[in-house]
Order: sequence, then structure tokens, then C-alpha cells
Amino acid sequence: MKEAVRIQADDFSQDEEIAALKASSLRMGGIATFLGCARDFSEDREVSEISFEAYGSMALSEMNQLRLEAIEKYSLLDARIVHRICTVRAGDNIVFIAAGAEHRPAALEACRWMIDELKQRVPIWKKEITPQGDAWVTQHP
Amino acid sequence: MAAGNIDMIHVLFFGPVVERVGINAIQVEFKPGMTLQQLRDELAEKYPHAFEIVCFSAVNGNHVRDLAMPLIDNSEVTFMARFSGG
Repeated sequence: MKEAVRIQADDFSQDEEIAALKASSLRMGGIATFLGCARDFSEDREVSEISFEAYGSMALSEMNQLRLEAIEKYSLLDARIVHRICTVRAGDNIVFIAAGAEHRPAALEACRWMIDELKQRVPIWKKEITPQGDAWVTQHP
Repeated sequence: MAAGNIDMIHVLFFGPVVERVGINAIQVEFKPGMTLQQLRDELAEKYPHAFEIVCFSAVNGNHVRDLAMPLIDNSEVTFMARFSGG
């Protein structure tokens, strides 16, 4: 079985991730998922590709920590986080998060919390490739 | 990894910071008592354009918010722009 937290270039299968999550416990009554995918438009311009770069070892460590914190905070039965680091085109998958709990409120809240936290603390950066040129997506402090 | 007999700090840059620094890694001579703040100040003077977007620091893969943290030789230090994953 694949690791519950991964960084990979290849696409992932949501069905496989959900099956792996469900296999962890028969007490699971609610599963919430978040799928992040590439858009073809951002900040008033067309985006043809998005390229991702990560501080790999730290990103993986932070994602693992994030999963453990979510399991503890929301009493989840299990959780999974997969993020692609590669160049994607519009419509391609980028990130998948799944939270499994006995009941839906915990699963839904935990899923939202994990993607929000991932954006704040996991060292991954994206560069949008547009017909007008490339630009890293970042904001000044 | 020391270069010769000199202890070094290994500094890594990623994504938008690399673009502004021009390289993804440099080595800085370690000085006893050196803090993360001192290293940051030294590099910010050398690469001011890059440090305009630096928001986060990490030492050996862990977020560090207290820049007064003393460094030890052979530390891996990263100065990072705001993240944009997900």
C-alpha cells in the first residue's frame, strides 16, 4: 500500500486513495476529500502550465506532521495527503487530501483545516507559465 | 560537510528566491555564536532583492520563528518566500 503522505510527480488516483483510507477502519462513517487542480486563468491572465517546486524533505516532514495533527485535533480514523511536484496543465490534478472520521462534521472540518494549513506551512511554490511569460506565485510579506 | 578545515553553514534557496539570488545554494563560513538573524542580515545585504520576498526561515528542515536562534556548524538553513502549494 502507498504511503498516506506523499510528494510525487505522477498523477494520483482518488479512488485508490479513498480505498486505502477506508481500509484503515470499518468504523469510518464519513470521508471528506479535497482535490486541487490547475486552472487556465489566474489574476486576469491565461495560464498555460503551472510548475511546482518544493523543499522536498521539509515539505514531506511538514505534511506528515500536518496529518498527525489533524488526526489528533479532529479524532480522525485516518487521513491522506498527496501533492504533485511537476509541471501540470489546466485541468490536471495537483493535490489530494482525504479525512476519514466516524461522522461527517469531523471529516469535513479536518479536510478544510488540512488544505488551509498546507498552504500556510508546507514549503511548496508554484510558477505560472503564461503567454506573457513566467511568474512565481508569491506575495510580499 | 566542511570545506577544508572551515566549518560552514549550508544555505538553500527555492523557487522565487532562487530566481532573485541566481543560485540555489551557497555556503557561508560559520562563526561561533552566529545567530540566524546575523546570517539573514549578512545575506540580505548581499541579496537585497531576494530578501524582499523572504517570509520564512528554516534550520535543518524545521521552521524557525525566533531569529535569535544560535546556529551550529554544518546547519542547513533556508530562507523562503511565502508558500503557494495546494
